Amino acid sequence: MSATADFAAALPRVLGSRTVQRGVLGMVLLVAVWEGVARGFALPAYTLPAVSAILVNIVDSWAVLAPAASYTLTESLLGYGVGSLIGIALAGLITLVPRARAAILPVATAINSVPVVAWSPLILLWFGIGIASKVVMVALAVSFTVFLSALAGFDRVDRRAADLMRSFGAGRLSVLWRLRLPTALPLIAAGMRVSTVRAIIVAIVTEMLGAYDGIGWVIYQAVLQVDFVRVWSAIFVASAISLAFFGLVSFCERRLIFWT
Amino acid sequence: MTTRRSLLATLVAGAAFITAALPAVPAAAADLTKASLRLKWLPQAQFAGFYVAVAKGYYKAEGIDLTINPGGPNILTENLVATGADTFGLSGGVDSVFAARDKGMPVVCVGIAHQMTPFVFVTRADGPIKSVDDFKGKKVTTWFTGANHVLKAMLTKAGVDPALVNIQPQQVSVTPFVDGQVDVITATRYNEYYTIKTRMGEETLRSFVAEDFGVTFPRDTLIVSETTAKEKPELVKAFLRASIKGWQDAFADPKGAVDTIMAVAPTLDRAHQEFMLAEAQKLMLAGTVKENGLFWIDMGAVKTAEQLFLDAKVIAKPVDLAATFNVSFLESIPLAERRP
Amino acid sequence: MSGALVASPASRPETMSLALLAPLWRFARGLFWLAVVLAVAEGLIVLFGVRPYYVPRPSVVIGAILATPTPYVQGFLRTLSETLLGFASGAVFGIGIGVLFFRARALRELVFPIFIVSQTIPVIAFGALVVLWFGNTLVAKAAISFYLTFFPVTVNTLLGLEGVDPRQEALMRSFGASRFKLLTHLQLPSALPQIFVALRLASALALVGALVGEWFGDTVGLGVLLLQGMYNENVVAIWAAIAVCALLGTGLYAAVSMIEKWLVFWGAEQ
Repeated sequence: MSATADFAAALPRVLGSRTVQRGVLGMVLLVAVWEGVARGFALPAYTLPAVSAILVNIVDSWAVLAPAASYTLTESLLGYGVGSLIGIALAGLITLVPRARAAILPVATAINSVPVVAWSPLILLWFGIGIASKVVMVALAVSFTVFLSALAGFDRVDRRAADLMRSFGAGRLSVLWRLRLPTALPLIAAGMRVSTVRAIIVAIVTEMLGAYDGIGWVIYQAVLQVDFVRVWSAIFVASAISLAFFGLVSFCERRLIFWT
Repeated sequence: MTTRRSLLATLVAGAAFITAALPAVPAAAADLTKASLRLKWLPQAQFAGFYVAVAKGYYKAEGIDLTINPGGPNILTENLVATGADTFGLSGGVDSVFAARDKGMPVVCVGIAHQMTPFVFVTRADGPIKSVDDFKGKKVTTWFTGANHVLKAMLTKAGVDPALVNIQPQQVSVTPFVDGQVDVITATRYNEYYTIKTRMGEETLRSFVAEDFGVTFPRDTLIVSETTAKEKPELVKAFLRASIKGWQDAFADPKGAVDTIMAVAPTLDRAHQEFMLAEAQKLMLAGTVKENGLFWIDMGAVKTAEQLFLDAKVIAKPVDLAATFNVSFLESIPLAERRP
Repeated sequence: MSGALVASPASRPETMSLALLAPLWRFARGLFWLAVVLAVAEGLIVLFGVRPYYVPRPSVVIGAILATPTPYVQGFLRTLSETLLGFASGAVFGIGIGVLFFRARALRELVFPIFIVSQTIPVIAFGALVVLWFGNTLVAKAAISFYLTFFPVTVNTLLGLEGVDPRQEALMRSFGASRFKLLTHLQLPSALPQIFVALRLASALALVGALVGEWFGDTVGLGVLLLQGMYNENVVAIWAAIAVCALLGTGLYAAVSMIEKWLVFWGAEQ
């Protein structure tokens, strides 16, 4: 069982519907304290701007933030899609051709043992500062998580059920498609759900080191132009995108995987 | 309770003593004032003089226990100096000082290291671009962190509408230029230019210099907070004295200065660092430095840069130049000591 | 999974020597394969004439590390200490908060959404704030590691605690066990496998935090070496730093797994 799958499985349970009211209350309290501290101590924007100032700035700089957000979202979605496909495909390959496990698993683990951010300088030099480098970085970050959850899912299948199907003359592919995939889907979906937030953060971090557009680029520019309210605005938008993406994937998961 | 109070009293008295003693005598090791210098980037020969001054104990001799903190890709020197996290800063340049003042950050520039634009625009010598006029319709990459405004100002001065030039943000790598995907690239004289030169050969390159078009963009500014400038003028003077001595030594003995840098960051390439120091020397000795001494603030160049930024609407209103650029600390040091 | 109450570590002396030898053997085998892979890579690069700006030969990378080993050794130790400090504090805090949330439902419901939102924020955007608050100290990097570490640990602790068999709880209570005893003797041991799943993930995240933290202005550390290599376009230096990062990452992961095997000997995994 993969770490991330467990971690993901925990979220909906922890987020039971009764908690919503208290959750909103918690957020409101946080915002109130934040606003109070920022206004009460008259903190300069470069230390901590007031929430209201940030919200006003989001509206004011919408013309900059909206295209940047959609740029970052495009990069993340592309990388997320590619990464998920690679992860599932590799796990499927290992399941179909068990001998491939000995070759693929160590390589995947070795690549994963390097923290994703450590690849960023190399990926930027290789793929340039355009959209390609972000897609690669996001795919790198997403694929291993999905790969591990998919593998755990495929392996979870009851051996006897698989043997039974084989005895009726079903091929490996057929077992994978009809038996293993449906069983593995909840775990795959859980892995994909946790990867959402990571996908967006990795895209932003990579943008900050070099990009043509995107939330990370806006943040980088704002820091250099000493516009700290805009830094916070960009972060608010990034956080909102992450939460929306996470929510969307969770929603699809609940609609599509009805059998769990 | 009493012990705590008396301890406090001793501390206060001690602090008062240190501040009082500082200007008079070079303080003994025991009562050094702690201070930090935040650089704009990671340690390299561009900052050699400061490291030499630390290594040779020049700051200690002035009563300062100086820590040099490197910069990074996402921290702004002005911010850390304005908030008091760092005492001194070697910040981006007049551009970042303007931006900081424009946003109400209480920073004061007390000296400028690079007296002229530290970057040039490079193209292939055998390529189609022979003059700035040929930039039209070509792909030009530059940093959108100040250099883009210099590029636009240079184009305008040469009578080229910047809108006709395909200006793109620049990669971290010079490879797109080396591979011919980009027609003109921006290169600092001490860094990217060296990389391009080593990969392509200097004879294959043609450079365009902003100064040839009357555009000057002084960079690498020494800054302090308004509080420090007001309350600890002697500390600022002492820091400048020691820094100037460090740079004079670095210019006199470049090999030794690069040794000092290589000891701080051993993974650097020595040949590159030697080149960088030589280029930094040219930038720091340009302009009126021969007459006015190192770190001089050439108000003429500052005003030109301000106009450039007002035109580009990077800053909303004129900056209070008298409050932002303060040469009085430099002037209090005899000119003979400041001359390179 | 719930055998924690009966089994005790003292009852398995003869398996100890085997348990020690097996990882050593695996380690040696891993090294062998690593050498093979590096040799093949070297051959392929020479054969196809790959430009060194993209992929340098492994021998060149190893040579670069051996030429100036000090920054790599120092960087390794520095990044390791930052990671360990952040990881340890994140683990302790995560488990502590997990227990607290388990006990105080109202608090959990009040604070948990804030925790979730906090995890959607890219820390790198706050370079200046981190330096402002913590200075250029080891603590600043550890703080970022901590920030990335504590959340998964909290979630899995909570999950593990809630998964405890209620019948066992009832049984212990009927013997008059206090709430504290219940926690230390039943709930936490039962939650350990879950907690370790998160800790393994967190070990990698803690390293990421330390590396990113070093981008906010520092002199020593693997993150600094990565950045320096990138902006000087020194691909050999980047690969050298990546190799040392891999070593550190693998080591941490292996260490957490070993502690897990030792503590959670009743094995819920696989």
